[in-house]
Amino acid sequence: MQLSNERKVSDMRSAYGDALVQLGLLDPNLVCVGADTTESLKTKKFGDKFPKRLYNVGIAEANLVSIAAGLAIAGKTVFASTYAAFLPGRCLDQIRNTICYPFLNVKLIVSHAGLTVGPDGASHQQIEDLSVMRTIPNMRVLVPSDALSVKFLIPLIASAEGPFYMRLARPASDEVYNENVNHFEIGKGSILREGSDTTIVACGLMVSQALKAAEALMAEHGISCRVIDMYSIKPIDSQLIYKAAVDTGLLVTIEEHNIIGGLGSAVSEVVSENHPVYVKRIGISDTFGESARDEELDSLLDEYGLSFRQIMDVVMKTRRKIKK
Amino acid sequence: MGFRMRYLDLKRKVRDVRMLAIEGIAEAGSGHPGASFSSAEIMGALYFHKMKHDPNHPEWEDRDYFINSKAHSAPGFYAIMAIAGYIESDEVKTLRKMGSRLQGHPVRFSKYQQQHSFPGIEYSGGSEGIGLSVSIGIALAKKYDGKSNRIFTLIGDGESNEGQVWEAAMSAPKFRLDNLVAILDRNKIQQDGFTEEIMPLDPVRDKWMAFNWNVVEVDGHKIEQLIDALNRVERMEDKPSIIIANTIKGNGIKHMANNPQWHGKAPPRKHIPILIEELQSEVMIAPSIIAGERENYEEKVRKAERGGADLIHLDVMDGLFVPNKTFFSDTIRNLRKITSLPFDAHLMIEDPIIHVQDYIDARCDIITVHSEVCKESEFIEINEKLLKAGISPGIAINPDTPVPSWIYEHLDTIDVVIIMSVNPGFAGQKFIPETLSKMIGATRSLRQHGYRGYIEADGGIDATNLQQVFDAGARIMVAGNAVYGSADINLNMIQLRHKANVSLERKLLELATAKGIRDDWMKTRKHILIPLANELRIEDELHAIK
Repeated sequence: MQLSNERKVSDMRSAYGDALVQLGLLDPNLVCVGADTTESLKTKKFGDKFPKRLYNVGIAEANLVSIAAGLAIAGKTVFASTYAAFLPGRCLDQIRNTICYPFLNVKLIVSHAGLTVGPDGASHQQIEDLSVMRTIPNMRVLVPSDALSVKFLIPLIASAEGPFYMRLARPASDEVYNENVNHFEIGKGSILREGSDTTIVACGLMVSQALKAAEALMAEHGISCRVIDMYSIKPIDSQLIYKAAVDTGLLVTIEEHNIIGGLGSAVSEVVSENHPVYVKRIGISDTFGESARDEELDSLLDEYGLSFRQIMDVVMKTRRKIKK
Repeated sequence: MGFRMRYLDLKRKVRDVRMLAIEGIAEAGSGHPGASFSSAEIMGALYFHKMKHDPNHPEWEDRDYFINSKAHSAPGFYAIMAIAGYIESDEVKTLRKMGSRLQGHPVRFSKYQQQHSFPGIEYSGGSEGIGLSVSIGIALAKKYDGKSNRIFTLIGDGESNEGQVWEAAMSAPKFRLDNLVAILDRNKIQQDGFTEEIMPLDPVRDKWMAFNWNVVEVDGHKIEQLIDALNRVERMEDKPSIIIANTIKGNGIKHMANNPQWHGKAPPRKHIPILIEELQSEVMIAPSIIAGERENYEEKVRKAERGGADLIHLDVMDGLFVPNKTFFSDTIRNLRKITSLPFDAHLMIEDPIIHVQDYIDARCDIITVHSEVCKESEFIEINEKLLKAGISPGIAINPDTPVPSWIYEHLDTIDVVIIMSVNPGFAGQKFIPETLSKMIGATRSLRQHGYRGYIEADGGIDATNLQQVFDAGARIMVAGNAVYGSADINLNMIQLRHKANVSLERKLLELATAKGIRDDWMKTRKHILIPLANELRIEDELHAIK
């Protein structure tokens, strides 16, 4: 797979807003609901273009997702958005009973997922959502790694009936894909780098960290790492995971999420049932985060064990452990 | 005021809903009779009258939406759906069982979710406080698409503890959703007890007014008030409306009514025949305004309404069929302006076929003609007119007239049969005891032929003979002098109501005895029976029951 050569950064939220406007032009049936965060989530772009199709319900997340459900009952394709800390944080019940149970056509697209939310602190750091969302029947869970992923995934979920949860990151992200790469499928992952010794499975912002780690592991230690962008957490690409387990014998997962219940758990579930090999999970080790200014982002990831250096350490240590 | 809904038919359907719901709950061994019964008239007014919907095409694009936010009223809702034609009545008995389409709380049906549901259920409820927001979503979509669908949402008062209800309350006026009508089932009881103790909701009217809703308050067990309110809020522009329906939890079965214990408890199966009998025995009192002092009819109607009358009985006499003259359709037309109580017009006139249109136009709700002045062919013609206009047809039979045999051909189009217990023509006559045996015989014979309508007793009915006509089968009691004959009309109404209650309890007790569960029934019914013990002569027996 051809990746972008030079490091460029782009913003997932803007890509989301732009994708909505594009879709809105094609599909008059598409509507958006916001909760006093439409500037931040960039759904305001959609509202500026289609003033009668964006509904701002104020700071009321339960109302947000339930109104979204009603719009879907009336036949609309609905995108409902606000910050990840509060959606799903504040409205699990509504998501479960009102959207997922009746399989309503509601897409929950949230931003500010994980630790990288800036100086707002742990109250705004959503690190449990993947775990919670993926256990709800009928829900599908996606974590794009860059703006292009967002651009390609949004139309996919718009055209697939039923509920989705997608978490976006607040900071600008390294570009992982480029315009020539547009193959995304719900339930699939992408091999971004081939390798034979170890597989690093990542999602979201951690994908670019994984790529850096793989590059450095080859350069510094001659270790060949396969890197998978597992943007579809549920349904998950069991085939791809199985093959990685067979081919490389060790999987390391990394996610901007609590170590419990997210990508690492999902991968472990597949591996343990199909081809048991070591799976080493990297994530936030069941603790709350803290504030960090934007320029302190790298230190924050370091502090919570999510930098590419730490991925390298984990890969080296785990390989040594297996060899003993 | 005035509505075209075939009042008695609607009344009977709601009764059938309660019967089905309670059977279903007993069969399931669990469920919520309280909420099912407090909301029966509300859902009935919607499904049997107000809403545009089609059980044969549940996904009809132009349909109105019903969102049952207080979804624990499921047994009542399923019974409504059965009577409305969405499912067979028998299916209600599968309620809450494994494999049933009738889950403990209703599940939205769609091509993606067909299991555990059936076409016509729009919303998956069960978690409280969400339905109003969902309704806002539907209303938004319809409004901004320029569609005329209306959205009706049933919410509960216990449910209103949920903060989300108020998020929704705040947002619907912002979007000017005049296609949205919330109906609050204000039964004042929630799971742990009375709402005002658990979490006070009053002043509930002020709250909704402050949130900028159009607020209308009604007696939620008076279908005519509900329909009147539903008609009025339809004319509201740019604002959502809420109808605060003051109801009684468990209404319809006296020991369940207003009793928090029956929020979510099933009655034992052995009680079912008795409960069914109770539901079938609701007595309606219809004051006849020609009785008593000569004062203006408007005043009499108002007094009857204050006294809790169920119907207003209008004796129209033409001086030909009967020797006296009373009033005609113009009087009724004027009275129609002052009350939403159903008008029970009793036409004691020659050639009703010529005049019936005047009474339809005057917005009567029940129109009864005399068998003595109707040939079968005329009766058919009159009935067709009435049914087309949404009016309950009735037939009246004088003491000396036998029940005409042709009636039996038209039973499903007759909502009421008046068995006269005086010879009509004058107010204030004495009850003719010999008419009782005729009423007993006629009722039996009509029922045997499948008649499901009401029997109305008219002529000298008072507290001394009410029980007899009740036992004979009458459930609508026309009361003239018994209401207007002395000054305290409220007291007179209370006495008649009390007699009806005693008659009912006696009948139910007899039935319980016949079923071999007298003690059990008395225990269940104790707090209802205690104040009537003396009259029922069961003081010692009650005393012995723990």
